[in-house]
Amino acid sequence: MSDQRIFAAALLDPDAPCPAGLTAWNGSDPIQRFAVYRNNVIVSLINALAETFPVTQELVGEEFFRAMAGVFARAAPPKSALLAEYGQGFPAFIERFKPARGVPYLADVARLEMLRVRAFHAADADPLPPDQISQALADSERLPALRVTCHPSLGVLSSRYAVVSLWAAHQGLGDLARVEPGVPETALVARVGLEVQVVALPPGGDALVASFLRGLTFGEAAALAASAAAEFDLTANLALLLRYGVLTDLRLPAEVSP
Amino acid sequence: MTIEFLFEPSTRGAPAREGASRLPARAGLGLKPQHFAEILATCPDLGFFEIHAENYLVAGGPFHHYLGRIRERYPLSIHGVGLSIGAEGPLDVGHLDRLAALLDRYQPQSFSEHLAWSTHGGTFFNDLLPLPYDQATLSRVCNHIDQAQEHLQRRMLLENPATYVEFAASELDEAAFITEIVRRTGCGLLLDINNAHVSGVNHRRDPQAYIAALPLAEVGEIHLAGFAEDRDAAGAPLLIDTHGSPVAAAVWDLYAFALERLGPTPTLIERDNNIPPLVVLIAEARCAERWIESVRRDRAEVAA
Amino acid sequence: MNKTPTLTTLSATALALALGTALALSAAPASAADDKEKCYGVALKGKNDCAAGPGTTCAGTAKADHQGNAWKYVPKGSCEKTASPTSPTGLGQLAAFKEKKS
Repeated sequence: MSDQRIFAAALLDPDAPCPAGLTAWNGSDPIQRFAVYRNNVIVSLINALAETFPVTQELVGEEFFRAMAGVFARAAPPKSALLAEYGQGFPAFIERFKPARGVPYLADVARLEMLRVRAFHAADADPLPPDQISQALADSERLPALRVTCHPSLGVLSSRYAVVSLWAAHQGLGDLARVEPGVPETALVARVGLEVQVVALPPGGDALVASFLRGLTFGEAAALAASAAAEFDLTANLALLLRYGVLTDLRLPAEVSP
Repeated sequence: MTIEFLFEPSTRGAPAREGASRLPARAGLGLKPQHFAEILATCPDLGFFEIHAENYLVAGGPFHHYLGRIRERYPLSIHGVGLSIGAEGPLDVGHLDRLAALLDRYQPQSFSEHLAWSTHGGTFFNDLLPLPYDQATLSRVCNHIDQAQEHLQRRMLLENPATYVEFAASELDEAAFITEIVRRTGCGLLLDINNAHVSGVNHRRDPQAYIAALPLAEVGEIHLAGFAEDRDAAGAPLLIDTHGSPVAAAVWDLYAFALERLGPTPTLIERDNNIPPLVVLIAEARCAERWIESVRRDRAEVAA
Repeated sequence: MNKTPTLTTLSATALALALGTALALSAAPASAADDKEKCYGVALKGKNDCAAGPGTTCAGTAKADHQGNAWKYVPKGSCEKTASPTSPTGLGQLAAFKEKKS
């Protein structure tokens, strides 16, 4: 094994011996000095996770969260130097993490928070200008064939739990004690200007957005969403997508790609 | 390998070192998102801002929104924390590409990185890990710096590290090791005074002698920061480079010692933990500027 | 492969009605312009820096945390206020998790 491989392995494994060849001027046991690196790696990664998942942390408390994040960080340290991307595997880890199973919605709250960070740093794009919508309406025969483009920050999470209400209650929006965690909700996450917004999508909204992202036409996406959810309300879904600037383009397929 | 460096006349910098960086010889601050709006609203009189490159290797959003506006008003230093120049493995070319795009977008007056490693076998450890100062490491670090300077088409500054252990395998002392890197690669030096002090205490070496032994003509920027104090297994003081407190008196003294030898030099106040209100950091920057002014006056008097 | 001949599509009239109404409903867009710059807080800090952590004693060297069969922490946060759908009591199951040693 190379020197850095041994050093690296010992950073993440507290049971590993101190790497050979480390010295101190006073002949003191270098393990105590090596511990500075061990601590820095783990604590900095836990801090990065705590910043990305603040509501997840609030739900289980700091002590539980940091211990859980430490287990994750050791098992799945970052693959990239861009810490903004770190933690994509954390929600799935939480789902399998037995000590957290008393809080069954925890993993989905974490998924929502990861979508928020992703939306925060996503590419910029201008929302669809109202006059472009008016033009499309003026030529309504073409509407079914139009293709809808969504904002790069857009994320949708369909949850078996009240993920939006749970998250919002931690932002001072609503009383957590009144939230029914077992009521399914679909979260829409998108950056509006400089702020990331989280809002519940009406029924069928997830199918509509997924169809837009798959490149289906406006007419196909609306029909598919209607068949996916009996209570699908196209107007309510479109109004919400427009209000949050989620739709960025609306044109014929031939005009979409060069 | 040849690189054409950009030289820009500096009105107030030290003429001998114009090539090391194009930052003004003033004090600057690390740019923190907590302070974005206040900086734009109040436009404090500072020499420059410095960012950590990796925080801005994202596609869009508020970070780029604010950095773009602040860059229009201030000189900028981009300080990498994740290139892993000392790694045994090859440099991440994708990371170099992203850095190149960031440098192209913001045209900073300085780009710097660390004498350290942080990546191994595809894992990023998010820490600046120490290197043995032997010939094999020297040649690898120089190759990586050559590659980075070529890829980024600019001269970079290399920062001296804060370390907590030493290696039995080291053949050179740290100053000699860095001197040889600068000589072989033509890179400049980012002299971190706090690191010099921290490592000086941790390895019981004289920080003044250490600084004096460095190739000071190539210093393009200085870093000042605060540290925390711990103990090693024998109870000896072990200083930790936390960037979490004001610059310590011993570091200000060492700064004055360095400035006397360097002349006026761009100086960053680094604070990454326990970040105080902007005014507190501006006051620390003012303190550094008083030292820079004093050295500038002394030099002018000698010249007159 | 994402298009099949059987894929149905909503009529132009239905789409026009929905889009027109939605446009009217969304007339006050949530996306404000740059003129309100000072109102926007930046929620996230940068996560990459070059500072070191908290010294020689703490999480990085604690051995108990990573042993699944000795997990000693109980969720003690806001989840205690929520009803747990899987708990017989209706409240969160917040007893310490103990894995059986096999």
